[in-house]
Amino acid sequence: MSKASAYGSVLALGAALGALPLATESNVLLNFLIFLLIVAVAATGWNLLGGYGGQFSFGHAAFFGTGAYGMAILQERAGLNAWAALPIAIALGAAVGRVIGVLAFRARLRGSYFALVTLAFAEVLRILANVLPMTGGAAGILIRLRIDPWHFQFADRRVFYWVALGFLVGALLLVRAMERCRFGAWLVAVRENEDAACALGVDTVAVKVAAITLSAAITAAAGCLYAQKFLYLDAAIAYGPWISVEALLAPVIGGAGTVFGPVLGALVLLGLGELTKAWIGTLTGGAVPGVDLVLFGVLLILCVAFAPRGILGLLSRLRFGLRWARS
Amino acid sequence: MTPSARLGRRTLLASAAAAAASPLAAPHVRGQVAPVKIGILQPVTGALAQDGEHGRLGAEIAIEEINAAGGIKSLGGARLAMVFGDARSNPEGGVAEVERMQAEGVVAIVGGFASPIALAASQAAARYDIPYVVDVGVSDQIVQRGLRNTFRFGPGFGTVTKAALDNLVAINEAAGRPARTVVIVHEDGLFGSGLARLLNAQLPERGFQVLEKISHPTPSRDMSNVALRIRALNPDVLIPSSYYSEFVLLARTMQQQRIRPKATYAVLNGAASNFRFVREFPEAANLIMDCNHWADPRKPKTAEVRAKAEATGRFRLYNIPLNYSCVRLVADAIERAGSTDRTRIIEALAASTFEDHIMPYGPTRFVNGQNQGAAPVNTQVQDRDIKVIFPREFANANPIFPAV
Repeated sequence: MSKASAYGSVLALGAALGALPLATESNVLLNFLIFLLIVAVAATGWNLLGGYGGQFSFGHAAFFGTGAYGMAILQERAGLNAWAALPIAIALGAAVGRVIGVLAFRARLRGSYFALVTLAFAEVLRILANVLPMTGGAAGILIRLRIDPWHFQFADRRVFYWVALGFLVGALLLVRAMERCRFGAWLVAVRENEDAACALGVDTVAVKVAAITLSAAITAAAGCLYAQKFLYLDAAIAYGPWISVEALLAPVIGGAGTVFGPVLGALVLLGLGELTKAWIGTLTGGAVPGVDLVLFGVLLILCVAFAPRGILGLLSRLRFGLRWARS
Repeated sequence: MTPSARLGRRTLLASAAAAAASPLAAPHVRGQVAPVKIGILQPVTGALAQDGEHGRLGAEIAIEEINAAGGIKSLGGARLAMVFGDARSNPEGGVAEVERMQAEGVVAIVGGFASPIALAASQAAARYDIPYVVDVGVSDQIVQRGLRNTFRFGPGFGTVTKAALDNLVAINEAAGRPARTVVIVHEDGLFGSGLARLLNAQLPERGFQVLEKISHPTPSRDMSNVALRIRALNPDVLIPSSYYSEFVLLARTMQQQRIRPKATYAVLNGAASNFRFVREFPEAANLIMDCNHWADPRKPKTAEVRAKAEATGRFRLYNIPLNYSCVRLVADAIERAGSTDRTRIIEALAASTFEDHIMPYGPTRFVNGQNQGAAPVNTQVQDRDIKVIFPREFANANPIFPAV
């Protein structure tokens, strides 16, 4: 892939998504799209480590939550401006990623052991956030409603959408750049065969630590966006398993180890959820709550069963099949 | 195809079209008054579904009643139309539904149930100036943010805890102070830990010795260790503050292991004021006291709402009278505002003196969005029923204390 088409495709996606709010006035749709972008950013973070590096984390909530709490605490307790708090919160998330990475990878944890350790770290942080006075304990922490661009709160939802989109495009460009440089090759080598990579002179621990740090920073940025969008956090929201699962499911469904996989996965995952909700809602008049979730689950199972390498994997398989049939 | 079959299809199409058009024509027949849309936000899927379903039922009963009585008279008899939103037991779900309700043009929103949902949803509603009445959410932060659109009809955390302590002291003194030692069992979330901290600080000042605070996560699948610890400590009073399943589990484990303190005095407990618990486990539930939201048993309307709720086959929970009252409160504000303008409804709510509700609160008076008259009551499970035992002025039973 040429340099122009590699980066051009990311920018084209950004431009297409950026034009969406110009076509709609619906705040319902914008609200949904903003949430989708937040999940897509978190999923892109997971994809860098899990998709490219093959290190499956079940605890990306640890980074998401640190970013979110960092944003809230720096504003509400330290009195910092939201824009100043943003890079610090992202750096805090990256630092947590680095610490977990150094501890886990130095101890040579791989596969399910690494997954369990990340899960444990996220749980420890959740329990701490639930009791510490700094995080507001179980009562949670509120960011004051001050609708002013200076405070990273916008009267027009479209502005927040574009800011979130900016984060997503930035994260995608970063992943694309990584994919094309030597570091990306090392990371993929670690995923494919860590021992062989090591034998070829790749410092596998350093590569994995760098990957988890970057991955954590991106996911922490998603946490910052969440905090500014909803302005309220508690331990279950910030460090709860829901975001670890969403960040993991989106790339798995969309196509792990591909740049656009997490975005497509988030779109399918959340879009399917909303569509089944709306469809079942009109069908039953809301009489049977939860049926849409059952349908959503079934569709998800089908998706995973028939596209084990994600939707992008399925598409390339279909394309290959067509070409083969033609020849 | 035969001609008669084609004719049949035409007739069918014509009648179907007529049937489809009839609801559109109906308002014109009634007098061209557009319905007033009111948003009901409850979590009916996820962990809080039981509470959400009962909250929705309370709101439905109120809307039905208001419409049957002629709708909003100052708006020419406009009917109330419910726009229901499922908050899915999380704040994002609540916010998404507020956006949808705004798109559908609601004039006010009632509900939320859990504090995190109420906090996020009322904030989202504030952006559009939609009046938001919180039904249950007890976190005191809800009314401390200076949002002029947000009102809470029920009592907050601080009020409930103070009342719970005052009532415990009063009940203990009336019985000749048989209780001196306390064990607090609490879930480790917003309710439980906040409450445990307050109780731990204030109980010693009121002559009780706190032997231990035992916390447990939600969900918990086994309470044996907690029960064994209680047995070892042997307190006079057990104060549990947990959600439904965990408390039911604890009460049953204690019953099996024959652990019987002089009183089990719950505060804002998910089970002790729940008829499902009383019906399903009458022995485990017997004589448990609770300080919680509860309808006023003196008001004739209370029994009426109860009968309507029970006719649907549901258990009676406090969510029903609270949501019933909140919807009536909003309807009264719309009536007085004489308009569907949101700012005027907010003004009418802020100046409300509404008293046609079924809670034991007296006339409504909002200060910074908090209803000043709101207060919890003490209930006790007696003879397979939930009785009000305190405050005395509207109790329908005497407290049975000590229980052993």
